[in-house]
Amino acid sequence: MTASRVDSITAEVVSRHLLSIAEEMAATLIRTSFSPNIKERADCSTAVFDAAGRVIAQAQRVPIHLGSMIGAVHAVTARFGADEIAPGDMFVANDPYSGGGSHLPDINIIAPVFWQGRIVAYVANIAHHADVGGMVPGSEAAVCRSIFQEGLRIPPVRIMRGGEINRDVFDIILLNSRTADERNGDLRAQFASNVTGIRAVEGLFARYGEDTEPAIEAYVDFTRRRFTAAIGRIKPGIYTMEDFLDGDAPGETARIALTLTIEGGRMALDFSGSAAQLSWARNIPHQALIATVYTVAKSLLDPDVPANAGYFDTISIHAPQGCVVQPVAPAPVGCRSISAGVLGDVIALALSKAMPERAIAGSGPHHLAVFAGPDPRDDGYFVNYETIAGGMGARPNRDGIDAVRVHASGASNLPVEALEHAYPLRIERYAIRDGSGGAGERRGGAGVIREYRALAEGITVSLSAERQTVLAPGLAGGMPGAAGVFVLDPGTPRERVLGAAEADVALPPDSVLSIRTPGGGGYGPPERRPQAALDKDRREDRAPPAAEFSPGDLPRTETAA
Amino acid sequence: MQQKAWLGIDTGGTFTDLVLVDAARGTQWLHKTPTTPADASRGILDGMAEILRIADLDASEVALVCHGTTLATNAVLERKWVRTGMITTAGFRDVIELARQRRPSFFNLDLEKPAPPASRDLRLEVAERIAPDGTVVTALDEDAVRDAVATLKARGAQAISVCFLHAYANPAHERRAVAIVREMWPDAFVCASSDILAEFREYERFSTASVNASLLPVIDRYLDRFERGVAGLGIAAQPTIMQSNGGAVSPASVRRTPINTFFSGPAGGVIGAVGLGAAVGVKDIITFDMGGTSTDVALIRNGVPAKHNVREMGGFPVRTRTLDIHTIGAGGGSIAWVDPGGLLKVGPQSAGAMPGPAAYGRGGDRPTVTDANIVLGRLNQRALLQGRMAVFPDLARKAIEAHLCAPLDMDLVRAASGIIEIVNVNMMGAVRVISVERGEDPRDFALMPFGGAGPLHAADVAAMMGMPRVFVPQRPGLLSAMGLLHADARGDFSLTRLVRADPASLDALNIGLADLAARGAAWLEQEAAGAPAVFEWQGDLRYFGQNFELASGFPSGHLDGAALAAMVARFHAAHAAAYGYAMPDRPVEIVNLRLSVTVQRPVPPLNAAVPRGVKLRDALIDERDVWFFGAGFQPAPVYDRDRMPADVRFHGPAIVEQMDTTTVIPPGATVDVDPAGNLMIAIPTVAEGRVQ
Repeated sequence: MTASRVDSITAEVVSRHLLSIAEEMAATLIRTSFSPNIKERADCSTAVFDAAGRVIAQAQRVPIHLGSMIGAVHAVTARFGADEIAPGDMFVANDPYSGGGSHLPDINIIAPVFWQGRIVAYVANIAHHADVGGMVPGSEAAVCRSIFQEGLRIPPVRIMRGGEINRDVFDIILLNSRTADERNGDLRAQFASNVTGIRAVEGLFARYGEDTEPAIEAYVDFTRRRFTAAIGRIKPGIYTMEDFLDGDAPGETARIALTLTIEGGRMALDFSGSAAQLSWARNIPHQALIATVYTVAKSLLDPDVPANAGYFDTISIHAPQGCVVQPVAPAPVGCRSISAGVLGDVIALALSKAMPERAIAGSGPHHLAVFAGPDPRDDGYFVNYETIAGGMGARPNRDGIDAVRVHASGASNLPVEALEHAYPLRIERYAIRDGSGGAGERRGGAGVIREYRALAEGITVSLSAERQTVLAPGLAGGMPGAAGVFVLDPGTPRERVLGAAEADVALPPDSVLSIRTPGGGGYGPPERRPQAALDKDRREDRAPPAAEFSPGDLPRTETAA
Repeated sequence: MQQKAWLGIDTGGTFTDLVLVDAARGTQWLHKTPTTPADASRGILDGMAEILRIADLDASEVALVCHGTTLATNAVLERKWVRTGMITTAGFRDVIELARQRRPSFFNLDLEKPAPPASRDLRLEVAERIAPDGTVVTALDEDAVRDAVATLKARGAQAISVCFLHAYANPAHERRAVAIVREMWPDAFVCASSDILAEFREYERFSTASVNASLLPVIDRYLDRFERGVAGLGIAAQPTIMQSNGGAVSPASVRRTPINTFFSGPAGGVIGAVGLGAAVGVKDIITFDMGGTSTDVALIRNGVPAKHNVREMGGFPVRTRTLDIHTIGAGGGSIAWVDPGGLLKVGPQSAGAMPGPAAYGRGGDRPTVTDANIVLGRLNQRALLQGRMAVFPDLARKAIEAHLCAPLDMDLVRAASGIIEIVNVNMMGAVRVISVERGEDPRDFALMPFGGAGPLHAADVAAMMGMPRVFVPQRPGLLSAMGLLHADARGDFSLTRLVRADPASLDALNIGLADLAARGAAWLEQEAAGAPAVFEWQGDLRYFGQNFELASGFPSGHLDGAALAAMVARFHAAHAAAYGYAMPDRPVEIVNLRLSVTVQRPVPPLNAAVPRGVKLRDALIDERDVWFFGAGFQPAPVYDRDRMPADVRFHGPAIVEQMDTTTVIPPGATVDVDPAGNLMIAIPTVAEGRVQ
């Protein structure tokens, strides 16, 4: 209940300070970091925690980081007693199984904040590092069979002591990366971000004194009450849903099963019945599971609720050990953001049953392509990591959005002109994939076509995808979205459809790789599509005859599984 | 140029502010007139006639007219642009829809991607291809361009943008396509992406060019009416228009690039602050322009406002050189409400001009920031606008009691002071964005409030941030209009040249610089032929492998080995200063070349009409109980700003009222009135104490 000594005004004022602090930490991180992934794509997040390690305020740049934030401080406090942590200490971790991480490239840096001789808060930040070792450049590929192939695993360990970098740990991290000097710059930026946060939180305690902690507590309480009220507005009951990841082999699938219980202003999600963990790196570790649950719940129930522990407390999550959404070591997890797209659909479709007026059909997750090879321009070696968006599911009142990242994922594309300048590749076409959104009264969002021509010798590509076998379901009579597909040399005698998980496919000079991402499901029967929408589809050439699709990516007719 | 009278016109959402300065006598006249949204030029021209009549000046004496306009901004926000076509590279018609593949909000699924100005049926592809180094891969299919123009005309397009990949590296195809458009459609509104923004990153360039094209007919019609009207008043001087970069230019320039005026109004305020600061020797300023629905803040260091190159407008990236002005949706009209969890929130919803705050008695019943200021005695409880508008404090009290006191179970004063405290902390957040988040310490700056509500809140915001000084201009409500008279003529030009910063690139760089120089010279010929101009050259540099550039200046439009090496050395130093480290062994890449051409204009004189020979007590008009942070209600003297003498010192608590605003001076603060009638408030530092 609300702490008695502070009122809703002080709680609001202190919360605004905390959000400012998180934003300042993010600004420092982005300003001082080195690598494009952090600087241009802002693949990083920052947060302030209370003394118990609960998230209080965060500057979110990528929703999936939320889960790693929640785990960050607890991973440290599980390993180090309060008497072992001193001012000026910082901790590093990335391991999904022991360090609160969600995949190895996301490195957490965590620091305590002291006031009057005791820990009153923590600050932490996450940055996606371009490479942390492992069998593939970029440390992220569906073909990895074990987390040991994915890169350096870091449990929570001290990387700074009394304000001095602990070289013993720092140097191990640098040595394990293909791009050590970038890691050096980015890690230092992460330290600087935490220093900014520590100073600002100390200032907040200096200003509000003994009222600060009760104000934080009150803010969490207000948030909890707000989300409890949001859950209270939807229909109580038990809702089940399932959907499928692409399996280990072509044609196989892996079930994600969910029983959602809504009762008494709380929601409980039980993933019992989900398939056993996969041998490919598409498993969804615990922190990615909770990030996806919290993101989808917030999106559908109360988009403006502050992302803090108050609303997390209203949601409980259970998944059996060793299943695809709760894998155990050494299951590989690198590509969890693609499979988390399908997980997001399962959660959203279950919630859609409870709140049909705000329902959302299944979505097309992004596809991942990592190009690598010798760079003829400077005798170097290039690695180009790209995510290509799919499309969002339709809703009762609107078409799905074309060509966007969905649910807990969110990074930007790479501009064609930047790509062609940097790598020996030419984009032949970059377009909305017409007809890939499921038909319906409201059409599913369309995926994307992006076609790469190789311009040099020795280029290879590694590919990772979902929804190449199992389509994004439609709702209420809407059709599913089209499957994604990777096609080599389309329209030539050499045309070949590639698998959903491939490593080191050769792209000889002048060959073309066509990436066609999956669309979202439609909502409502297609014959009820309003005339104005049909006219616009025709005028804008949005729904070409199905003949344009090869049999592999024709929309299927079955709806939600 | 013989300066006689200068006229500045700042069009806002509700009112148009006019300021007329008689340069010889140093006399100013101020006038406010309602904005006329249907035809903005009508209200402006009426206002110009009125202020000339008030000042009893003949139109022929007006030597300079500068206009800050929101026309292009409103056209984008309200989608009042024309049906716009696009001719683009085969395979890429969807670039402006694909955008950066992010959804509009991570969490709010109800937000849709904004529909671009060129709908898909008006985006036509033609075969052509240029490589990143500018070489031609596929020749332009000119017949396809002709077909496209015919189709676009037939489909009712009223403007066209030509957007080809890598056109920044070689604009030949775009220029040829534009020529074909003009052959077939001589009076077409058309622009090429490389003419509007010769920089790489296709989505941002195509978006910028397409938004620009969509506004060409709109701004042309408006400027036609405006120019004819100005001439019709008998003013011989050619009017100028304020741009987002803080420089004023001819209507001809604006007709080419209407997107350069998106932040025309807020830029006026910042330039006004620069001008006023220069006159009184204050060079490090954070501006704080708080109006009814929104607040703009900007940072000025050593007399130079911070700038940046990318802004969003209506959901579209528009890359133009723009003053770095940060806007938040909170102002005097922002509504206070209780969220479902029970927290008190302020804004972003606003009561606007109608119905306005509850206390205005126009039917509004939701409590606003203004209502809280009235309940707490910070604003006059009888009337505002020097008695011209009655206020009803009972209505303010009722609104707060009904909507806040009851659900929050708190008394009236706590609820009202909570509104002020929360809006102030929002303001503090905005100031931190343009200072702390940019690596600047706000305590090194003076806070300069203006707009109708800025001086009400400035002292408290400064105290929260540990800023020691607040500088309240003599006419806070008209600083933006005054700023128009301080504007130099300024043109910004850029060109992407993605090359290594080594001597082998000198030829490519110098060709690019010659191109920029030609564009700058053509602009100068149009804006101020024969006038002395300052050419400033910059490169955007980065370490090879980075995607983030830093500017590094160089002295002339021709680079040799030594000049290039000096520019690289300055880049290393700038990187170390900004980020704490440099990597002198790593190769450096040049991304963009930039040229700014500035023609200085004379500075208007300060207001000479400050009362002389009077005492402070002559300005005392009232005493009332006013609520202050940390002190509660205190009796405070109320002064009339218009009767306040120059060169006098007094202490808080005090209230200073004037037609366009009210200044709150908290207990412990000291005010010095300078010779021009500006208030310099010294704020006691409270860094270690509680604010409330």
